[in-house]
Amino acid sequence: MDNSFNIVGKAVIRQDALEKVTGRAKFADDINEPGQLYGVMVRVPTVHATIDEIDYSELLRVKPDSIIVDSTDIKGSKKIGAIRQDQPIFSFDKIVTPGDVIAMLVGESEDELKSLSKKVKIKFTELPALTDPTRSLEPNAPKIHPQYESNLIVHYPLRKGDVEKGFKESDFIHEETYTTQLVEHAYIEPETVLAIPLEGNKGIKIIGSIQNPFTARKVVASVLNWPLTKVRIVQAELGGSFGGKDDTMNILSARAAVAALKIGKPIKIHYSREESILESYKRHPYILKYKVGCMKNGKIIAMKIDILADGGAYSSMSPFVTWRSVVQATGPYDIENVWTDVRAVYTNNPYTGAMRGFGSPQPIFAQESIMDEIAIKLNLTPDEFRRINGFKAGSFTASGQKLENHDVNLLDVLDTAIKETNFTSKWKEYKSKTSFNGYQLDKISDTNAEQLILKKKDYINPNKLLWKGIGLSISYRGCSLGAEGIDAAEAYLSVQNDGSAYLLSGLAENGQGMRTTHSIIAAEVLGISPDKIYYLETDTGLIPDSGPTVASRSTLMGGGAVKAASDILRNRFEDFLRLEWKLKSQSEFIFKDGFVSVNGNPQQKISFSDLCSLAYKNGICLAAIGWYKSPEVNWDEHTGQGSAYFTYVYGCQVAEVTVNIGTGQVYIDKITAVHNPGKVINLLGAEGQVYGGVTQGAGYGLWEQVTTDGGKIRELNFDQYLIPTAKDLKEIKPVFVEGKDVYGAWGGKSLGEPTLELTSAAIANAIRNATGKRFYNLPINLEELLLRRKLFPKDLKRGSS
Amino acid sequence: MIINFKINGKETLINLTKNKRLIDLLRDDLKLTGTKEGCSIGECGACTVIVNGKAVNSCLVLAQQVDECDVITVEGLAEGNKLSELQQNFLKYGAIQCGFCTPGMLMSAYALFLENPTPSREEIETAIEGNLCRCTGYKPIIQAITSTVSGE
Amino acid sequence: MIPQFKYYRPKSINELKSILGDMQDNSRILAGGTDIVPGFIQQSSRFTSITNLIDINCIADLKAIKNVDGQVLIGSAITFAEIMKNELIQTHFPLLTKAASTVGSIQIRNRATVVGNFVNNAPCADSVPPLLVYDASIKIISPNGERNIPLNEFLLNPYETQLKKNECVTEIIIPAPKENFIGDFYKLGRRSAVSISRISLAFLMHEENKFIKEFKIASGAITPIGKRFYEIENAFVGKEISSETFMEIASTLGEKVLETTGLRWSTDYKLPVVQQMLYQLLERNVGGISG
Ligand code: FES
Ligand code: FES
Repeated sequence: MDNSFNIVGKAVIRQDALEKVTGRAKFADDINEPGQLYGVMVRVPTVHATIDEIDYSELLRVKPDSIIVDSTDIKGSKKIGAIRQDQPIFSFDKIVTPGDVIAMLVGESEDELKSLSKKVKIKFTELPALTDPTRSLEPNAPKIHPQYESNLIVHYPLRKGDVEKGFKESDFIHEETYTTQLVEHAYIEPETVLAIPLEGNKGIKIIGSIQNPFTARKVVASVLNWPLTKVRIVQAELGGSFGGKDDTMNILSARAAVAALKIGKPIKIHYSREESILESYKRHPYILKYKVGCMKNGKIIAMKIDILADGGAYSSMSPFVTWRSVVQATGPYDIENVWTDVRAVYTNNPYTGAMRGFGSPQPIFAQESIMDEIAIKLNLTPDEFRRINGFKAGSFTASGQKLENHDVNLLDVLDTAIKETNFTSKWKEYKSKTSFNGYQLDKISDTNAEQLILKKKDYINPNKLLWKGIGLSISYRGCSLGAEGIDAAEAYLSVQNDGSAYLLSGLAENGQGMRTTHSIIAAEVLGISPDKIYYLETDTGLIPDSGPTVASRSTLMGGGAVKAASDILRNRFEDFLRLEWKLKSQSEFIFKDGFVSVNGNPQQKISFSDLCSLAYKNGICLAAIGWYKSPEVNWDEHTGQGSAYFTYVYGCQVAEVTVNIGTGQVYIDKITAVHNPGKVINLLGAEGQVYGGVTQGAGYGLWEQVTTDGGKIRELNFDQYLIPTAKDLKEIKPVFVEGKDVYGAWGGKSLGEPTLELTSAAIANAIRNATGKRFYNLPINLEELLLRRKLFPKDLKRGSS
Repeated sequence: MIINFKINGKETLINLTKNKRLIDLLRDDLKLTGTKEGCSIGECGACTVIVNGKAVNSCLVLAQQVDECDVITVEGLAEGNKLSELQQNFLKYGAIQCGFCTPGMLMSAYALFLENPTPSREEIETAIEGNLCRCTGYKPIIQAITSTVSGE
Repeated sequence: MIPQFKYYRPKSINELKSILGDMQDNSRILAGGTDIVPGFIQQSSRFTSITNLIDINCIADLKAIKNVDGQVLIGSAITFAEIMKNELIQTHFPLLTKAASTVGSIQIRNRATVVGNFVNNAPCADSVPPLLVYDASIKIISPNGERNIPLNEFLLNPYETQLKKNECVTEIIIPAPKENFIGDFYKLGRRSAVSISRISLAFLMHEENKFIKEFKIASGAITPIGKRFYEIENAFVGKEISSETFMEIASTLGEKVLETTGLRWSTDYKLPVVQQMLYQLLERNVGGISG
């Protein structure tokens, strides 16, 4: 631990924790307004159809004063979207996926509205459903959005060197295809929003479980056709997001706002778990084809990658998610010749967008699986092979970016993980023991019924039922938005004359602990305790748009802005003291433990609170705005070349597992997660990110999958969508290797997403080590492990609608 | 139907005008919004409260069923302004991220201690197996509960 | 949404009987409520039409586990948590204790009742295989009397039993245990906790001088309803205890399950695994291999 810091790097208790252990924290559904009404959605049980007529006559016959809100109530944009405006607030022309909403009924009793919603008769003409993304680009595939030429949402090529020449010169070629599944964010708090019309034509205030208040504001304003200033978004305590409370919440905010203005009363919408899973976006399933050209000495010289991402029914964040994939698809390896194509396409499946990891867990699963296969072919251990190809300072990425100006400590991170886990000897030992004695794993997939009856040789010696394995994966990750967009953030710090302070940044607290991290940064600079800092609630009316809270940018960008604001104030205080104490202009100060003293003369000191009141009386401005803008990055759309991100972080995870070859169960004994987050600002928060990210990553690797039957979701609640419980991961060990970096606050970069992206690949490699078999399709669940395929019920137990 | 029960130590009379679940009684009628609803089918544990000393999912209990019962919710854990040791340890060990699962987790742990003041690690894991948390990976929660046992 | 049913809370069996006498079709017994209450919320067709709900939790007789002449009587309001903690059951019917401990979460086990578990007769009811191998029967009362019926006859089809309207199960009766049985309960779920059974089974074996003297085996979750396999039991009585025998038992179970269920979407996985795990279970418990 760095001794030059007072607070940074130590375990600091979250600022909002007190409210949260007493039940006083207000999540969106805990907030009510007098006279509020509820909104209940009207959907159609179909996957793909044109809407011919929406008939409210029966509804109005049963309840003549029904309040109906639909697309005809929208004065501004009827369809929205970050890049393509393809997603309707209320569907009016087509249904493209079962979560689509036609109208909203408004009233006092949700129960009554739910039964009334069945009275809305929608006439529609079914269209052929497109649920297989590999068919999306076929000429005769049904077009999901006829206004676009094809079902292609985006195509990113990346061309470096001459890949065909590279393959020709290679000693051998290794080719494999991997697939990943659709998964749900599964935040425990379902979506809720409350829209309150403000009196006196002051606009509308929206409180909700909203991840990106500024994006929500933009959407609501465009739907209402209002200036941004008339829409105020206030973020309630957020019960988890992981990238998931963005588009869905923007749309719910817009629906609530339209209804609230139509009726002149506050409107609340809150979703059940089923509605949440039905309508919210998910993680993209990928099909990943890799072809690798390698030399006998272990050097990779060419890599060709073809990735197809299922964007589902709307484009949403697909263009951004898949862009990260194209940048990082080779993994952290210096390869001379690279040819990558990443495409995202429309289908009628649930739409996909941002989720923690954001286009990286999929390629990492494929690329790290392949790295192990090649290592085994070459008779190298996984770490030896990675050392040959892994990034070092000065290496070039697939996009031709030279890695410099930051600590390129990938191999340090790798070595730390290897030592920490005693990897190499375990890996060799488990590998040598592996065999499926007398148990014909692949054969029992035969549907020939008698073959399912085990023969003597199929029975496993009870002492050989459980096999141990160890596996690793490594990654590099571009920090923040990169060449995806403008990247800057603001923070506002206002010190009061008693030495306490208000802090607010333009990024949002999504449960990750950002407020605490930011408070630590300000407290460190001013030498006060973090609990002297009061974090204001995120309100779009109070702070400039700082872009979305995504891409693990809250520490790097938000932290950079907070540091900037704090430094401005500290400089002001120092100037003031030099005058006040008549010191030389080069004299320095120590801000520590609530006191400010002259460096070298500890006797000359003043408490921070006295300093504040003194400065205030002398007319010094005690508030400051800090701004942090990322260095320039660039990208060539045609060749996929450029400096994609201004800095990167590196990680390595090691999974130790036990595989039950009788049942296909995989028990996770230990995950060791070694990460370089730049500088650790809050140890407790950083470790928390690791525990949580690894656990989500393990769920992704082994259990979680949203499946559809003709486009309709099977797993609509936590009885069927299985996320890890307290018993599923035995041990998680976070290890931090800090880098020496210049960006953000003392080099504090990103951690939230790297923790998740590596786990499934490490587990897959551990399973390979245990069983001697490679598994190509996530999740590696019971059936996948024993049969190499998934089994699904033929009927929907609980329908999608 | 009139039901008479103790909520966080206070005798309460409620005239139930319609059938509802315990969670609705707590959140809507008594404004005790600390208890959360995450799934409504008994799978997530966010709605966990204590009825007669036992942890239950308040989304699976009818309001009528707590007549003459003793109900404790997260709002009843602290004594006045002083946090219980369990609550303090949740703070200390980082057992809280978004905090949505926290009330349910606390109630499950509290119920465990009512029954077994010195639970083992496995008993702790079992006590919270019905409480889903998507943020913390459970480890800090288990540590907070363990430390409450050992009085660390 | 919760329907506006009429709520009854009898305090005695007699009161229960008189309420049952007045009942119509749309009446249900409420014990744990862990199926019924979410069923309301999800508008499940099995529950939405309920107009009368009879809560049996306040009937002291149904809240008891008694030992009567060696038989154990489990009241129908007894929860899984109460089963787990009961010493009588731990000592004499450990498979039931084990099965109870695998049901849901603590919160569920604190409410859900054993009887409610099989009155619903979902294929995944974890209590059924142990109760079947323990030859449990149940007592049913109605306004006009009572009847006892073996559990395996009571269960008809998935979600269908012999229970008639106006009737209520009041007790499970487990006959006096035989001391020299070895047995086990096995459950396979997708995760380590709180999972629905993919596979569950229970067996009891009485071995004497390396030969099988008595054998009982029952399935859950792999067959449409929990089921005893009498043919297998009889076929292996008198056979020598050996790995070969265990393999034969397991493969025979495979054949019988296939016969009963036919090929379903899950058969490719479940059928080989149930044989494998039965074999492992027999080796571990009877064959003396520690696993
Ligand atoms: S809301 Fe009750 S268990 Fe999830
Ligand atoms: S802290 Fe967010 S779900 Fe547990």
